[in-house]
Amino acid sequence: MGSDVEITTPKEKKQKSGFVTTLTRVLKYSGVRLLSLFITVVIGIYLTIMIANMGGYVDQMMKSEIQERITMQIQMNPAFKTMDPATRSQLTQERIQSEIDRLGLERPLVIRSMGFLKNALTLNLGRAQNMSSDSGSRNVKAIILERIPYTLLLMGTANLILFFSTLFLALALSRKYGSFWDKFVITLSPTSSVPPWFYGIFLILIFAAVLKVLPFGGVIDAPVPKDFLGRALSVGRHLILPASSLILSSFFLSIFNWRTFFLIYSSEDYVETAKAKGLPSRDIERRYILRPTLPTIITAFALLLIGLWAGAIITETVFQWPGLGRVTFRAINLYDTPVIVGTTIIYAYLLAITVFLLDFVYALVDPRVKIGSGGGPQ
Amino acid sequence: MKRNTLMLLVGMVIIASMVLAACQPTPAPVVEEPAPAEPVVEEPTAVPEEPVVVEEPTAEPTPEPVRTTRKGGWLDEIVVSVVDNSSAITQIQAGAVDIYAAGMSSDALPEIEAAGLDYAQSNGLYYELTFNTYGPFFDQSTGKVNPFVYAKAREAMNWLIDRDYINREVYNGGALPKFWSIITNMPDYTKMAETVRRLEAKYAYNPELAKAQMDEVMLGIEGVTIEDGKYMFNGEQVQLIFLIRNDSDGTRVPIGDYVANQLESIGFAVDRQYKRSSEASPIWVGGNVADGLWHLYTGAWSATVIDRDEGDNFEFFDTPQSAYGFSSTWQAFTSTALGTPYGDLADKLAYNKFTSIEERDAAMAEMLELSLEESIHIWLIDGKNFTPYAQGLAVTYDLAAGVDGSMIWPYTIRWEGEEGGMLKWGQPDLFVDPWNPIAGSNWAFDQAIGRATWGEAYMIDPHTGLLWPQRFDRAEITIQEGLPVGKTLDWVDLSFEDEIVVPEDAIVDWDAENQAFITAAEKFPEGTTARVKSVVYYPADLFDTVKWHDGTPLDLGDFIYGWIIGLDMGKEASAIYDEAYAANAEAVLANFKGFKILSESPLTIEAYSDAYQTDAEWNITTMWPSFSYGEAPWHVLAMGARGDEAGELAFSGDKADAKSTETTTVEWFSVIGGPSLEIVSKWLDTSIEETYIPYANVLTAFITPEEALARYENAKAFFAKYGHYNIGTGPYILDEVYLTEKVATLVQNPDFPDLSDKWSQFGDPKVAEIELDGDGSVVLGGEFAFDVFVTFQGEPYEADEIKQVIGLLYDATGQIVKVLDGVLVEDGYYTITVPADVSAAMEAGASKLEAVVVPFTVAIPSFVSFEFVTVK
Repeated sequence: MGSDVEITTPKEKKQKSGFVTTLTRVLKYSGVRLLSLFITVVIGIYLTIMIANMGGYVDQMMKSEIQERITMQIQMNPAFKTMDPATRSQLTQERIQSEIDRLGLERPLVIRSMGFLKNALTLNLGRAQNMSSDSGSRNVKAIILERIPYTLLLMGTANLILFFSTLFLALALSRKYGSFWDKFVITLSPTSSVPPWFYGIFLILIFAAVLKVLPFGGVIDAPVPKDFLGRALSVGRHLILPASSLILSSFFLSIFNWRTFFLIYSSEDYVETAKAKGLPSRDIERRYILRPTLPTIITAFALLLIGLWAGAIITETVFQWPGLGRVTFRAINLYDTPVIVGTTIIYAYLLAITVFLLDFVYALVDPRVKIGSGGGPQ
Repeated sequence: MKRNTLMLLVGMVIIASMVLAACQPTPAPVVEEPAPAEPVVEEPTAVPEEPVVVEEPTAEPTPEPVRTTRKGGWLDEIVVSVVDNSSAITQIQAGAVDIYAAGMSSDALPEIEAAGLDYAQSNGLYYELTFNTYGPFFDQSTGKVNPFVYAKAREAMNWLIDRDYINREVYNGGALPKFWSIITNMPDYTKMAETVRRLEAKYAYNPELAKAQMDEVMLGIEGVTIEDGKYMFNGEQVQLIFLIRNDSDGTRVPIGDYVANQLESIGFAVDRQYKRSSEASPIWVGGNVADGLWHLYTGAWSATVIDRDEGDNFEFFDTPQSAYGFSSTWQAFTSTALGTPYGDLADKLAYNKFTSIEERDAAMAEMLELSLEESIHIWLIDGKNFTPYAQGLAVTYDLAAGVDGSMIWPYTIRWEGEEGGMLKWGQPDLFVDPWNPIAGSNWAFDQAIGRATWGEAYMIDPHTGLLWPQRFDRAEITIQEGLPVGKTLDWVDLSFEDEIVVPEDAIVDWDAENQAFITAAEKFPEGTTARVKSVVYYPADLFDTVKWHDGTPLDLGDFIYGWIIGLDMGKEASAIYDEAYAANAEAVLANFKGFKILSESPLTIEAYSDAYQTDAEWNITTMWPSFSYGEAPWHVLAMGARGDEAGELAFSGDKADAKSTETTTVEWFSVIGGPSLEIVSKWLDTSIEETYIPYANVLTAFITPEEALARYENAKAFFAKYGHYNIGTGPYILDEVYLTEKVATLVQNPDFPDLSDKWSQFGDPKVAEIELDGDGSVVLGGEFAFDVFVTFQGEPYEADEIKQVIGLLYDATGQIVKVLDGVLVEDGYYTITVPADVSAAMEAGASKLEAVVVPFTVAIPSFVSFEFVTVK
């Protein structure tokens, strides 16, 4: 006898109910999490806008600077030299007003800030107020996009090398606690208090000025090699010093941090037990040390990836590297709010997405973590 | 344990070494503001104790002009890249670059010299103190006292500040003390040598006199007393708020601190407020002076050309009629407003309301004196910039604009004794804004490189600021009788007429709506006159020899199109109207009275204007197709204009911004990169299809369809080869452009019409070297003489190249007692004689004769002093 009615066993019911509950919990968690992250981004961006404009004081500063700049432009232009004073004065005022209008400085910042915010959140990055891209466009998107390849090249190379090399060296050191190399690293870890550009200057002096084996700066030889391979090699040569300075400045401290972190896990009872059982050290590292530390390592790696966006302002300047850091620095100096907001919103979105995804990644790599249980990863 | 200790020690040594290294003095940041300027002879205010030979020019002697068959630039290739200022000198030493083409401030000079590099010298920033002249009391809310409302207090500041000290301590002696807004050792200063020396002596550092005069002023202010040497008001020491700029080149901090110390030394309390430009500007320019938020401000300005008429400086800097008149700071300069002696004189100097050069010079002399009595500003230092380059490199530089800011550098830069070769040129930045000749990048970095690719009808004399013909043969200038205009060079004929009538058929304006010329008869039905008539004669082979970089011969269409578009963009009826550009067109039309093509072959252009300069050379109208930001043939500009008309491009950044919406992007026209290139290429194809001739209503008279098609094809071929549309007639062609990498390559233009040595006469600036000799002790009451030997690079200075030799005789009180003319004995040898009646009137004691030599060939005068003892 068959039946059309699907019979569900209590176990299946329980499983189905559990799945629904989990799905509901995950969806609810995701919704709340996304909303909270979005609100955080909105607040962060709005604060950026207000800080970049010093709460409106920048308007006053920009107006004064416009007055000075345009007055001098007209004064220095021979074409206007023989104009009668009244006409010249009127012309100056018209130009000043036109520039103030162009920048929208007559409208209250509160109103303008809402426009900036809306554009930022919808990723409509708009046009820069004063800056232009290397190719001459005032589109913020173009300004940012053309610097991304070189930013990622420098920051990616340096940070990936730094991350993986220090991670594995730290792991090795954690097994040799108290050894010469362990002490060596500890001793040198304060050298990371020195910023990368400082190392950069030393490296330039040694390898460019004295040994003359590497270039002082820039991204490619001048004249630019004609063939692709030649260009690639040239970019590689120019990458060595800035990347090295970024790596050197964090190298020992990063090893020290990871090594201390691993040491804590290395002294757990279950690790000691594994050791006592005679498990090979590689297995101990992989199963008993690395695995429980994986969420932290992944977090660090994810943050590193989005950190590549930020660029390195002073290091890029020292090496004349055309990265995003210099764009941001220039935008801050010029109070170019659209560019500042443009670089910030991309970073903010990436950070928010990363934070959101990390919650799921934690749950995947660490069975102890449950999504939405208690409002966050456990 | 030992190992641990060892490690600890190693770590400490490393950290200590880094800390110590970090404590080393770092190179000061470099001036960002425009710069350049001039080989200096000797500090005007310094009083040498012994006979002094003027310093030799700093650069290596340039070789004798070399005859050559080479055309265009001396070099085969110039590779431009961006170099960080802090490592520039090291990079030249290491051979990474050959020249750092940006002025470094004086504090870099010792490093440049220590590195064994050559260098060019040019004007840097010039520094001053601006006073808040509101008062004597600010608004009741602050109740603060402001002594600088009184001219006497401001005048006293001249004696309180030791300009030589600032020059020595802040600028390593590489700058020049400054007393006026006119640039020290430039044409106006040089013309006034006697007056300036007398006034510099009068206002030399004298703190006792400063204190005495300031006391007098302060005690004159109601409620102010002096207690223990301090100025007191309402029981508190009078405090001055001093805005000290801490950005730019950083030198205004030590200047500000020194001035503040000096003010404290005579009894003031000083509130030193260190601020960046953007922080200070809303206070000193944008604020209200009555609020009492400041008393003094450390200002700085720049002059990057040899300005041969700085008469307008006094109006600009010191009077409410200034372009800065919108600022309450300038509005408070009531003692120099129109109607006051100062204001009226400033107005006359600004607009040359004189009937002769002599009258103008007398007014300038009077103004120099008034300027120090009023001292609206206290001028402190004329800064100098230094452009370092490798030994073996020869380059002519402009005394004001240096190498990169000069017009002449592409024509003269070379490796000594060589033809060809490559130069590695470093500079702080490149490709900052889009390049287009009408409203493109105005950045000095972009203009410096662009100038190597653009041509011009004239060449600016790098040593005097006068003009020389580059593409034309000669010119005739007619000036309305009674205007103070003179001439120096032979290529221009100067004449005067009572009335200059503009012919009825002269073309005066452009009718954008009907696309037609407007003649003088149409614009001025009653007839009109002009103050200046210019006739420029081009050579017969102009259109055969001058070619654009794409191979197109220059023709009259380029001249006419350039004139039309310059006005069309400023007309509201035009399809390419640009509001931001309109003011330029208005400015041109305000004085322009028309032109006529007298002859097409050889080209002769007659032009009329109401604007005039005091140098006849500067009154020519060439109509060459060059614009504010570069040079371009009509077939490139017309494609930009078509893109503009279609709403795809805009010549100015302002218009591009205004026309862009959230969904549409209007690009700022760039001839070197970005989306503009595709747009230009597209319009070239369209124009070929349509056999397009711009402004066809008038230009078909100058451009045939075949010529137009040939031009479009040439531009396309040029783009295919070089990847851009920067097409000029200059001595170098822009070969490669890497916008993000900021690298450019220039190659020699083999089709350039002139030999490479055309401008070889401009080697080193011919600054006179003087030796002064005479008796070390003379008896008063008798006649005595001094010998003046004037040379250049060891050879006697030719007499016809020397405008003036004078002697300033100082007595034991330090005052000038007589100005004596030098008498020519032979080339390079003059005598200055002190007559018996003059010597009889002198005080006995240590006296001094200062010889001043003013050449025609260079804007810089030379000074040398001889001290002697006079006895009764």
